[in-house]
Amino acid sequence: MNALKVLRDLFKTNVEFAIGAVLVGIVVVFALLSFVSPYPPLDVYLVAPDVPPGWPHVFGTTSRGQDVFWLLTYAIRNTLLFGIAVALMSRVVSLVVGLLSGYKGGWVDRVLMSINDTFIVIPLLPILVLFFFVMRDRMTSGWLAVTMALLGWAYDARLIRSVAMSLRHREFTRTSVFSGMTTREILQREHLPYVLPIVFSTTLNNMNWSIGLEVTLSVLGFTDINTPSIGGMMYWANQHTAMVAGIWWWIAFPVLAVMMVFIGLYLLAVSINEYIDPRSRLSRIGAGA
Amino acid sequence: MSPEPVLSVRGLRAYYRTRHFGVEREVRAVDGVDFDVERNQIYGLAGESSSGKTTLIKVIAAALKPPLQVVAGRIDFAFAPNLLSLDADALAKVRWKHLSYIVQGSMSTLNPVRRIRESFVDFAARHLALPRAAFERAVAEHLQRVQLDPAIVRAYPHELSGGMRQRVTIALATICRPEFIVADEPTTALDVVVQKEVLDMMRSIQRGIGSSVLLVTHDLGVHAHLADKLGIMYAGRLVEEGPTTAVFAQPRHPYTAHLIASLPRIGDAAQRQPLEGNPPNLAAPPPGCRFHPRCPLAMDVCKREVPPMTSLGSGHRVACFAVNPA
Repeated sequence: MNALKVLRDLFKTNVEFAIGAVLVGIVVVFALLSFVSPYPPLDVYLVAPDVPPGWPHVFGTTSRGQDVFWLLTYAIRNTLLFGIAVALMSRVVSLVVGLLSGYKGGWVDRVLMSINDTFIVIPLLPILVLFFFVMRDRMTSGWLAVTMALLGWAYDARLIRSVAMSLRHREFTRTSVFSGMTTREILQREHLPYVLPIVFSTTLNNMNWSIGLEVTLSVLGFTDINTPSIGGMMYWANQHTAMVAGIWWWIAFPVLAVMMVFIGLYLLAVSINEYIDPRSRLSRIGAGA
Repeated sequence: MSPEPVLSVRGLRAYYRTRHFGVEREVRAVDGVDFDVERNQIYGLAGESSSGKTTLIKVIAAALKPPLQVVAGRIDFAFAPNLLSLDADALAKVRWKHLSYIVQGSMSTLNPVRRIRESFVDFAARHLALPRAAFERAVAEHLQRVQLDPAIVRAYPHELSGGMRQRVTIALATICRPEFIVADEPTTALDVVVQKEVLDMMRSIQRGIGSSVLLVTHDLGVHAHLADKLGIMYAGRLVEEGPTTAVFAQPRHPYTAHLIASLPRIGDAAQRQPLEGNPPNLAAPPPGCRFHPRCPLAMDVCKREVPPMTSLGSGHRVACFAVNPA
């Protein structure tokens, strides 16, 4: 009820939010279309290869005899799910580390933050490529999501820690301690609701980050290339020298789709961030709000 | 007067001890304090900033955190003998149920992202041990007692006015009907009209449940309005205590006398004479009576010896060699 009203207000007063919501909305609807696809995603040579965009193959067909439109619905669905999975898993780690580190302080903070900073300075791409070479076929997109979640929590853990450090000195935290709440209860019931809006905004950015990295890895062929994904489509297009052969639609539509995801999520993250900060919210909606 | 005090503090010394780069520093924030609080009594504790008021009540609530340490003395509550020896579990049983604490700046005691109902559940539910429905009823009844609409349990703190929030925090602190309430500057951020309402309400709640209150504020007007007994602190020590009316009518310690003379009076436009000097640095307090460098009556003995708290009868005690020659 209240949340709906907030969304409606955001839509009316915030152009970035409106554009972002429309872009992400289109992509999500597109991904949902995969459930009514007439073609199984993994089969090849189902339709005539290399047909340019037109009817009935709206986005054309690939050199492997797949319909680009319907293949793309699967690809974008897997890519979005991958982004959400990484973002959710890494959120759990960063919330636990950030809240605990900020609230406890002392040696807990020092130990957790030195681990945290180690993860911040690790070069991700070479590590992930290494993981692929070690695990090979066992590196499904599920395991890749877990690996990336375990590598991608550190920045936000620091952000959450900085908020938790200020919460620790608030009166309500002192009152909670005095009333006999345990550390877990204080973090879960008093501090978690406080940091959730911030976490929400960084979740969107984390999705962008993980999708971008996954696309990079897939294009280079360092993932499970048989699961359709945006990067995987580009990988196969490159394998069949689509650009040289003039099959531009095989690459252009996945690129367009992933760009819509990036720009949409980025605009949502920015506008929600702005909404969370009361000062910028006031200047946008007007001092009366 | 009931012979058995609810709280008795004896010879309490609590210091802040820090060590930075090998330099040890000791701040004697509370240095030898004795007093009793009786049942159904509001004990007012007054003193200027940095006189050790807040440190004293932190120790009394057993909310000690390094670098604060209790060096000597003992605290006995009627419901918790030798409070400072209790372990964490035993303390958790005493707090809120028997001993509750209205913290300084209690406007922000409420979590801004939790509804009032959730704050009640978080802070008080465990101590009442009632089933959910009965607990909600108890909260509603208690909110009416502090003259609030029970419907506000659905509100967030920012939807309430300052006075309402203050009432909510008082309701939170008193819902378990504790025997002892520590109130640290409970009305600092309120204007005088709301302040008076809140104070009157606090008194009626206190009388209703028959608990004792240790009220700490530097606002002597609040003490005059509320406190049954008044203690004056200076530089970590109690210098005078007595029934509030007696202390106001006949202050005996020169510091108290100056404090009370500094209060504005209606129709009196005369300039108040400030006391020379500043409160002492508690890391290096002066020897003897800590007030002697600023005291107009200072004698030689004041520089050497600490004046003992001496009774003047009817509960009035003062620590001054000018009143009780050594």
